[in-house]
Amino acid sequence: MSIEINNLEHVYNPGSVFEHAALKGIDLSIPEHEVTAIIGQTGSGKSTLVQHLNGLLIPSAGTLDICGFHIQPLLKIKDVKELRRKVGLVFQFPEYQLFEETIEKDIAFGPKNFGTEEAEANELVKKVLPLVGLDESYLNRSPFELSGGQKRRVAIAGILVLQPEILVLDEPTAGLDPKGAKEMMSLFARLNKEQNITVLLVTHDMEHVMRYCQNVIVLDHGKVKHTSDVKTFFEHPEWMESIGINPPSLIRLKEMLIKAGFEIPTEAITTEALIASLKGQVKSHE
Amino acid sequence: MNRIALGRYLPLGSIVHEMDPRSKIMIMLFLMISIFIPAGVWGYVLIGIYIMICLVLSKLEFSYALRSMRPMVWMMVFLLIINCFAIRTGTLWFSIFGLGIYSDAIYQTLYIVVRLTLMIIITTILTATTKPLDLTLGIEKLLKPFEKIGLPAHIIAMMISIALRFIPTLIEETQRIMNAQASRGVDMENGSFKEKIMAVLSLVVPLFVSSFDRADQLANAMEARGYDPNKPRTRYKVLHMHSIDYVGMVTSALVLAVCIVLAVVL
Repeated sequence: MSIEINNLEHVYNPGSVFEHAALKGIDLSIPEHEVTAIIGQTGSGKSTLVQHLNGLLIPSAGTLDICGFHIQPLLKIKDVKELRRKVGLVFQFPEYQLFEETIEKDIAFGPKNFGTEEAEANELVKKVLPLVGLDESYLNRSPFELSGGQKRRVAIAGILVLQPEILVLDEPTAGLDPKGAKEMMSLFARLNKEQNITVLLVTHDMEHVMRYCQNVIVLDHGKVKHTSDVKTFFEHPEWMESIGINPPSLIRLKEMLIKAGFEIPTEAITTEALIASLKGQVKSHE
Repeated sequence: MNRIALGRYLPLGSIVHEMDPRSKIMIMLFLMISIFIPAGVWGYVLIGIYIMICLVLSKLEFSYALRSMRPMVWMMVFLLIINCFAIRTGTLWFSIFGLGIYSDAIYQTLYIVVRLTLMIIITTILTATTKPLDLTLGIEKLLKPFEKIGLPAHIIAMMISIALRFIPTLIEETQRIMNAQASRGVDMENGSFKEKIMAVLSLVVPLFVSSFDRADQLANAMEARGYDPNKPRTRYKVLHMHSIDYVGMVTSALVLAVCIVLAVVL
């Protein structure tokens, strides 16, 4: 079952001078078992939307259907814990949520909260560590002696260990070096492919959207501006420019080539397609 | 977290908002001292009226000022109970379960409640109408004369402004970590005692870690900009007193004077 969002609104601090409508009627249908990117400028409502998905925020108006849960305004979600286990939410800079003495204990903290026995939780930890690229020698080390990138892996492992059906990530690669970011993104792509996990990704990086995502949702000032598959999205670079995001380098190259007088079909958005369409238009220097 | 009303700046643009922070602090001081002078019922009526005028001028809603008292309610109930046991003077009004309730116990409690209420309303008006940085600037200027006897006014003001600056950041951070831990199944409200301790730990430890990080970064950033607390510095903002400031200070000083007279006469 996909995630269905109907006319979702969210107002912060209603009735006070700080009243602020963050979401103004969102209608979305997010397909399951795929990787979907949510993009938009700062303040467009991405983080607010994401926090509705596991019941941290309750909508001010509208409804949300996710994992068999029906969420509507003013109603406490029954069994919200189960929802939070099924929808794993990784916040921005998750490394700041680590607190235990050892990495093993920190990752096992989640499952234990959801009622898993200690021995079983530790088994799960051993399974999840290699997924994030860490080995068992880390188990008894303190999370605070790790580097920033490693801390983030531990924090993400702390969510993956819950075996969520939907994984929601708020800018998981922010502040990582390109190599670390690439590894992180291929991890999510692999989880999606091998375990059929639905992945929702808030990101600013169009290269990642292009490489790893199947669908794109563009938010702007609390509203959905565009929603499409990734191919259609990159055929319309003006969508990105309208919300102030730079298109990926390949798309920029394509634009420059078109300006220089080459004929390139709009659907050419991969390196291979671009090269193929250039064939015959470039004179050989041999 | 939005329930925390005390100490929040509300941009309502009233005449009180535009007053000089120095005069507002002085007015608050005069009123605070007046409250602690035993001037009897009429003293409190006078102070009460003065504060109500301030409240109206500052465009704050009465309910907003009262809301910041909510955390105090339990303290007041507790006080009443203690007083009922401790104060056994005055006339006996009635008795519950063989315990006599004397008039002085009720009066004493009422006095304390009135004092607390007035104090909270004053501080709420001050913080709701003055931006934290203006407030510290005001404190710094008022402490300036004490520099002659070795009081580091600038350093104190800098410490206060840094502390104030990080309150919203810390609240935001707390909210963020609470959300992150809730996503890992932490339930801050329900659960056994042991689970609750774990829940609090999972919040406090990350908060400490990030606070130390921030302090470190801030210290580095200040050093990198060549900050030296002992060097004289100019101000971006220069304070000016207007007639309303003088009116405010003179009238609040009058309130204080009347209270002293009342206390001496009675």
